[in-house]
Amino acid sequence: MGLQDLHNLRDQVCIVGVGDTKQGAVSDKTGDELGIDAARAALADCGLKKDDIDGLFVQPSYGRQGDYLKVGLMLGLNPKVGGAVEASGATGCYMIQHAALLLNAGMANYILLVYATNQKTNRNRFGGALLEEHAPYGAFNPSGPFAFAFRRHMHLYGTTEEQLATIAINQRKHAILNPKAVQQTPITLDDYMSARYIVWPLRLFDYCYITDGGHAFILTSPERAKDLNKPPVYIRGMGRQEAFRAYETPDLVMQSFQQEAVAKMVFAMAGCTTRDIQALYVQDAYSPAVIAALENYGFCPRGESGHWIQDGRIALGGELPLNVNGGQLSETYMVGWQNTYDAVRQLRAECGERQIEAVERIMCTYTGGLREHAGALILRR
Amino acid sequence: MTDYNKPLPVIEKWNEPYWQAAKRHEFVAQQCKACGYIHLPPGPACTNCLSPVQDWVQLSGKGSIYSYGIYYQQWHPGFADDVPYNVALIHLDEGPHIISQIIGCTNEDLDCDLPVEVTFDDITPEITLPKFRLVGIKQS
Repeated sequence: MGLQDLHNLRDQVCIVGVGDTKQGAVSDKTGDELGIDAARAALADCGLKKDDIDGLFVQPSYGRQGDYLKVGLMLGLNPKVGGAVEASGATGCYMIQHAALLLNAGMANYILLVYATNQKTNRNRFGGALLEEHAPYGAFNPSGPFAFAFRRHMHLYGTTEEQLATIAINQRKHAILNPKAVQQTPITLDDYMSARYIVWPLRLFDYCYITDGGHAFILTSPERAKDLNKPPVYIRGMGRQEAFRAYETPDLVMQSFQQEAVAKMVFAMAGCTTRDIQALYVQDAYSPAVIAALENYGFCPRGESGHWIQDGRIALGGELPLNVNGGQLSETYMVGWQNTYDAVRQLRAECGERQIEAVERIMCTYTGGLREHAGALILRR
Repeated sequence: MTDYNKPLPVIEKWNEPYWQAAKRHEFVAQQCKACGYIHLPPGPACTNCLSPVQDWVQLSGKGSIYSYGIYYQQWHPGFADDVPYNVALIHLDEGPHIISQIIGCTNEDLDCDLPVEVTFDDITPEITLPKFRLVGIKQS
């Protein structure tokens, strides 16, 4: 078995149900309560009953929300397979991959995935150091490695802050078309450039906006999908790569090692190239994640993303619409889950005025931690 | 007692020799006795070959700034008087990369790939932080 055999998994599992909740400040609900709400919505979306579910995966969140045992008890499930998965912003992607493998092996029939949080209401400031040896040096908040990576990109390729601004401005335009998005005020280049730095060279608008909310997905086989409410969205390709030696070689901070490895896997399984991808969702806790993904997955040549993203190329209606929900910078910060959710809705042509015309294949990429987690999915209708 | 109010290193089994060396103004890393690999942060085994037999070796203290950021946001009260302060990812000549700070210059003096060398900041009577300073004049 190797990469050449991954095509055996192609289109063998689908996402059949998606659920979400109100996003933003939801101060009257706990994270777990939002998770139950999202699960209920996903069941209603596909038409399954709760007790059809025989697999459950949960992503833990701030304040001891999302504990597998607690969420399982609240849902009243007796799953055959499941557990908690923790890989920060790549968890939602990894969980879909675990579920796909278990379903394909016949270990379960319908697997439910849940992530929810009330970290806005609970005031998670993301103020800690990701590794304790960084704290004495003031290296707090996960944005540091993204700031370092973008500063290095500026140094190597002459990329500018004005070019980076395009990502935040573009996503805000998309968010304004999306009633679910929490950020609805347009931003101009002047607004961007006059915003305060958080960790230079990154400004306020380069940061995700912390929200409460939940998302849930239900996966099953194509055969079982036929009996359900909505058209299935197939897992065409998937890939992942960890880089726990991220501080030993600098390429890992630029994410080239891990994302190039994911690219090989995901495109091998999907049997396609970047040219076959009609929209891209990048898990954008910080805007430089977009720069890294475009280059490492091969959408544009190394070092050229600053130019490449200009002139509407990544806007709705452009060559590669990117984060057409607004992403985490402007829609909601659901550690990538909101992107998977929106990609499924796009492939089901449910997105109204921001629907991508005739979209058949969407790629979603995910990043987590100190940038050491990387994963991707190619979804098709 | 000290009025130092920034986070202190958490000293445990693996990194104790590192912090003891820093207090003596020595900059050290683990080196694997089996394969010769030099690595930081300290741990129970070689991250290259997993051998448990590790030496401590003196590093040259020389390296370069791989990249850096300027922290304008104050996430910890101990840094209230420091913002905006720099944090740098240092590429050490012996191979490892570490997070530290560049001192003795302004933030505007910093650039990627500038040569740096270790210097020692005695922050409390017990703890010394290895930090870095720019070597020579700024290269363009």
